[in-house]
Amino acid sequence: MAMEPELLKHLTKKPATLLYPFEKRPAPKGLRGRHKWHADKCIGCGLCAQVCPAFAIELDGRGLEIKGWTVHLDRCVFCAQCAEVCPVNAIELTQEHELAGYDRGGITLKFTKALPTQADEPKSEKK
Amino acid sequence: MGETEEFIIPVGPQHPALKEPTNFTITVDGEYVVDAKARPGYNHRGVEKAMESRTYIQNLYLLERVCGICSICHMTNFCLTVEEAMGLEVPARANYIRTIMHEIERLHSHSLWLGVAAHEIGFDTLFYYIWRDREVIMDLTESISGNRVNKAMPTIGGVRRNISPELLRDIRKGLDIFEERIKYYKSLILKETTVLNRAIRVGVLTPHDAVALCAVGPTLRASGIKSDVRADDPYLVFDEVPFNVMTHDGCDVASRVIVRCDEMFESINVIRYCLDHMPDGPIRVKVPVIMRVPETETVCLWEAPRGELIHYLKSTGGTTPYRYKIRAPTLGNIPSVQRMLIGNYIADIPIVIAAIDPCFSCTDRMTFVDVNTEKNWVWDSEQLRRYSRKWYQQNSH
Amino acid sequence: MVSTELALKVVEILVFPGFFFLIVYALFLEWVDRKFFARLQNRYGPEHTGWKGILQPWADLIKLLAKEDITPAAADKIMFAAVPIVYLAIPLTIMFMVPIWNSNAYIGFPGDLIVVIFLFTLLILSVFFGGWSSVNRFGIVGGLRAALQMLSYEIPMALAAVGPAILAKSLSISNIAAWPSKVFAGNLTPYSVAVGAATVFVMAVGFGIFTLCMIAELEKIPFDIPEAETEIVSGWQVEFSGKKLALLRLGSDIELVAASALMTALFLGGPLGPWPIPPVVWFIVKTTICVLIISNVRALFPRFRIDQMSHWMWKNIVPIAVLYIVAVEMLAAVM
Repeated sequence: MAMEPELLKHLTKKPATLLYPFEKRPAPKGLRGRHKWHADKCIGCGLCAQVCPAFAIELDGRGLEIKGWTVHLDRCVFCAQCAEVCPVNAIELTQEHELAGYDRGGITLKFTKALPTQADEPKSEKK
Repeated sequence: MGETEEFIIPVGPQHPALKEPTNFTITVDGEYVVDAKARPGYNHRGVEKAMESRTYIQNLYLLERVCGICSICHMTNFCLTVEEAMGLEVPARANYIRTIMHEIERLHSHSLWLGVAAHEIGFDTLFYYIWRDREVIMDLTESISGNRVNKAMPTIGGVRRNISPELLRDIRKGLDIFEERIKYYKSLILKETTVLNRAIRVGVLTPHDAVALCAVGPTLRASGIKSDVRADDPYLVFDEVPFNVMTHDGCDVASRVIVRCDEMFESINVIRYCLDHMPDGPIRVKVPVIMRVPETETVCLWEAPRGELIHYLKSTGGTTPYRYKIRAPTLGNIPSVQRMLIGNYIADIPIVIAAIDPCFSCTDRMTFVDVNTEKNWVWDSEQLRRYSRKWYQQNSH
Repeated sequence: MVSTELALKVVEILVFPGFFFLIVYALFLEWVDRKFFARLQNRYGPEHTGWKGILQPWADLIKLLAKEDITPAAADKIMFAAVPIVYLAIPLTIMFMVPIWNSNAYIGFPGDLIVVIFLFTLLILSVFFGGWSSVNRFGIVGGLRAALQMLSYEIPMALAAVGPAILAKSLSISNIAAWPSKVFAGNLTPYSVAVGAATVFVMAVGFGIFTLCMIAELEKIPFDIPEAETEIVSGWQVEFSGKKLALLRLGSDIELVAASALMTALFLGGPLGPWPIPPVVWFIVKTTICVLIISNVRALFPRFRIDQMSHWMWKNIVPIAVLYIVAVEMLAAVM
């Protein structure tokens, strides 16, 4: 019987449940979410692939001729060790955490870097 | 005199009372428990073997996932072990931040346990309320470390993230709210006779049995024995922070509830002390990413929320550990559970098992599998000793 | 040639106030119970199926009907198949003897109170057979606990139910339900007000005892010992699946209707009231209030242990029930 006043108080309170996905709470800063690769900064040292505990990172090419960077999200444990060890801060873990999908297409994040030609600037795009 | 048939009830590996798979084979006579045998080993994942082929930085994240609730304990104890083997001196601010994360994890673990214990006795309302209030701690953890469960804060040489002044304020506010609610729950549990009926004189473990059966953690402290690694063998900043070892003399489930609630208040005090006395300075020392640990053997003890955690490292100078052994606290508590279950009712089985705060993910370290005949079994200490004597007789020359 | 009277009777039995109305009302009361229970616990409960989740019990029932129905190989097949049907049929039978539509029940006769109490006992007997015939350790333990629980609450329930019968001088539930309207319609003198107040107090005690026993009958927390989820994994219902489980759940819901209908008929004056509203509306309002009381008690306590329940019932509740009968007899003498 000791809990009855507390119970009745809750009849007037709004329920504590967050009606996801109709109500969403913003993610805190510093959440370890989806990766972003800054192609213009990357020097292709390969430290990220070496240090990843889940062996989730693949580099396409080496050194300054690096063509692409892939992270397998189904192996990744979101520890951010790749971001920490990168000497030029080319990897960033954003706050995007809604990574579920209906097929395996979105599981592999492939970033490519277009090689510089005479006329255009190097640009990075996410495929 | 009529003979009573003995009836065996298997609790596990799938059972609503257990949060992780394990097996207790319980022999009952009517509603009384006559005998209990534990058979862990369902959660063995080969963590220690996997550690032998990964570098130390990679092992950090493997160890984080030994257990979700005590992930900071395993990670930080690993860092302490490796730092001791390498002779690294960690900056003071890093130690304070590590202590704060350690005690926040204790708060999260004990409040999770309180909710689960309420659920085991059928008090779902208390379960929902406690877990709602636990969200304060989870949100704090997410703001500090970037994830609610796998906090990944410590690293070899320090911690990975700093705590900003706004975050320090948020931590203080969150702790005040949480402390109010835990005070209310402790007073409610001590007043509500229906809850006390399910907890007093249930799962009794006498002090003599507790010491003889190697009980650790709150299970041991609820039998009146003052034993806490933070006080006996201080690590991090526990030699500077004043705190009390909470014990209670009841030796039953209700004492374990009281001990854990008191420990939560003590943790809140420790965090407040650390917040007030946090030194400035760097948060880590630089270590090479692929590090070599000199040839040593190191042992580090730690007070996890469940009890005493032991990590042992043997390194032969390479980049991967030669052997790493983890003794989780639940393994020390399982023989006590077998003793505590006898003499109670079937209805008490869930709460008695839950009272040691079992974490079988941490525990399962070894099981035998014969791949040819597909049999698997677990040996007790007598069989292990006989096997080792036979092996040494055959192989020593 | 089917006469219109016969056709009307068939419609009454099947539709209103018969099976269809009872099933719809039972699923509505389950929704009320779940929503109130959830709100007390600071959460939403069913929310998205239909308006505020009102179709959730229907969805659960239809889903269960579509699932695979597995009978254990060692089970007693006839008993195993018969138990859900009996568990559904008995509360429906009870409902025919309780007044819903007007102050007379559909099948009311002197002595139907005893029949109803007997039917409740039969229900628990079928629970025991359900657990026993599933040949599953947890099922057997659950069935045994149900039988032990029945031994604890039968006596207080019968004593509490007999109280209003003594005051109404009849053993027919319809007459007991109509009794408060007849008695409290006279003129007020200080003597009658004193007697009325004493009657209300004594009847409140009886209502409390009867509610406790009904909660034990319905196997709801704090007395859900036969199906304690964390101890014996659904207890006696553990081996039932598919259509049989759907029938069991429907039977459990209709049992809730029967229990609250009995509570209103015996103690709250049945489907009659001071204002001229159709009796059905009074019935719905009063049974909903009873369900809200049961939900509140459900959220308030942890589960009792079976030995604690037996001790508490026999040591505390039975003496109170006996004193209550003594008080009722004294009131009946002065009325």
